[in-house]
Amino acid sequence: MIPRERCAYSAIVDRPPLTLPNRARLVVWTIVNLEFWDISRPMARQVLPAPTGQVLLPDVPNWAWHEYGMRVGVWRFFDLFARLAIRPTLSINARVCEEYERVARAAREAGWEFMGHAWEQMPIHKVEDQAAVIARSLDTLERFAGTRPVGWLGPGLTETYETPELLTAAGVKYIGDWVYDDEPTEIRTTHGPLITLPYTVELNDIPMMLVQHHESAYFTQRCIDSFERLYREGGERAKIMAIAIHPYISGQPHRIKYLEAVYEHINRYAGVLHWDGVEILDWYTSARTPE
Amino acid sequence: MLPTERLDFSAIAQRPRLELPDGARLAVWVVVNVEEWDPTQPMPRTVLTPPAGSAPMPDIPNWAWHEYGNRVGFWRMLEVFDQQQIRAVLAVNGSAIARYEPVARAALDRGWEFVGHGFTQKSMQRVDDERDDIRKTATAIRGFTGKGPRGWLGPGLTETWETPDILVEEGFDYLCDWVLDDQPVLLKTRTRPIVNLPYTQECNDVAMMLIQHHKASEYYDRAIDQFQQLYNDAVRSARIMALVVHPYIMGAPHRLKYFRNALAHIREHRDVLFWTGEEILDWYLAQLPGHRNT
Repeated sequence: MIPRERCAYSAIVDRPPLTLPNRARLVVWTIVNLEFWDISRPMARQVLPAPTGQVLLPDVPNWAWHEYGMRVGVWRFFDLFARLAIRPTLSINARVCEEYERVARAAREAGWEFMGHAWEQMPIHKVEDQAAVIARSLDTLERFAGTRPVGWLGPGLTETYETPELLTAAGVKYIGDWVYDDEPTEIRTTHGPLITLPYTVELNDIPMMLVQHHESAYFTQRCIDSFERLYREGGERAKIMAIAIHPYISGQPHRIKYLEAVYEHINRYAGVLHWDGVEILDWYTSARTPE
Repeated sequence: MLPTERLDFSAIAQRPRLELPDGARLAVWVVVNVEEWDPTQPMPRTVLTPPAGSAPMPDIPNWAWHEYGNRVGFWRMLEVFDQQQIRAVLAVNGSAIARYEPVARAALDRGWEFVGHGFTQKSMQRVDDERDDIRKTATAIRGFTGKGPRGWLGPGLTETWETPDILVEEGFDYLCDWVLDDQPVLLKTRTRPIVNLPYTQECNDVAMMLIQHHKASEYYDRAIDQFQQLYNDAVRSARIMALVVHPYIMGAPHRLKYFRNALAHIREHRDVLFWTGEEILDWYLAQLPGHRNT
């Protein structure tokens, strides 16, 4: 199904406002992404292209660059979110539970929500049997975390035209791939409705640091600019602000302080909730006016 | 026709003086581009490349990123135009008028000028029948606004060798694809001449944010720098300044204030006019002996 068959165009000003409990204005939704990069394939991202631009296999330097996030960077995240008493959503390639059990265990012990993020990091288009990968990923996460994930984010947010059908059939309730609104929305699938949560490609360290090549400090500036605008708008209608981070990027020693500065700023304001995906989903399901 | 056959070289310093009414130095026009991205085609721009590169289809995340502009970003931008009482120019894909009817309605209600911007966001070199595409776009605008468009902006400023000729034959009075001057110019066509208005690749959020990857604040800094220089240049002869935005780019919450503050700065100058494209066109034609609009 193409997107416009799933959901008609809707202008945000034409919808009844959503309201948050206790007159809160804004929900901050933090998503930590953990990935498995298979050394036998081209790396998902590159910090250093090979001389003359050729993709060579194995790509040890870029594999190692990502591996640093799992060995070192992610522990800076755990430390930060423990200090702030924030439980992010964990977007996790299910294979991480096997290959980096220590990291996945720390997230489970910290009470983070596990969100499905395929088996390993490659476009969902390149997966041979998508239904099998979805089932295997969700089963693995359920076994590991004790509850079955209700959320899903495609690797690199990728979907085929069938993905929403396959996800709803597998019991998924929300996805993050549709970065097209400040509010959750409902889209059609042949297996019933699916909710989209406002994930982000703007406040996301991949587009900002790896694609657009901004300086580390700009992460703070862009997040604060977004926050202040959405906080103001949140006086009239509830807003969601997602922040998406990866340990191999924002977990770098030169970047972590700019992430910390974002939360320091946000936490000076009243009326801000830090929720995970399940909490946003449950609120939206009860708060919205049925169409 | 080659570009050099359509117009002769002309140095701005050696032309007769152009004067704006009431001693104004500069006319600023603000162009808001509203597009429809076909989800079955490769996306015109991307914010996020897929893991390990390649270009898988469909491309839901980048489609959704653009869709945000019409669902949310445009409405944020509209507040700026309302507060500062500026009528913008809507450069709109013909198909986007029906798809995003509330957006087109908001523009029409505020008296914005509608400029044709291709029927879909596809290069003019890739459409099956260029004349048909131009005609369908004009028809969509006329059907919605009750008035045929006078201006045209190619999708991504693209043209074929024939585009200006076809535009004149289909009733257009100006285009904006030729970003080669700070004043309007006349282009020869196989029939009557067509005016080109100074559009911009410099103060344009696609070029600045998506291609050059500047911080959002660069939009403000560059707009002010551009404005101050043109304002100075205009002592000798009137100048036109364009500001170009797309709801999916400058309408993002973290970028909007840089657009708003740039407009507010320019607004403080009393001798600066905020005009639509057709206001600039009519003024320019009235300055030209022998080329009065009939």
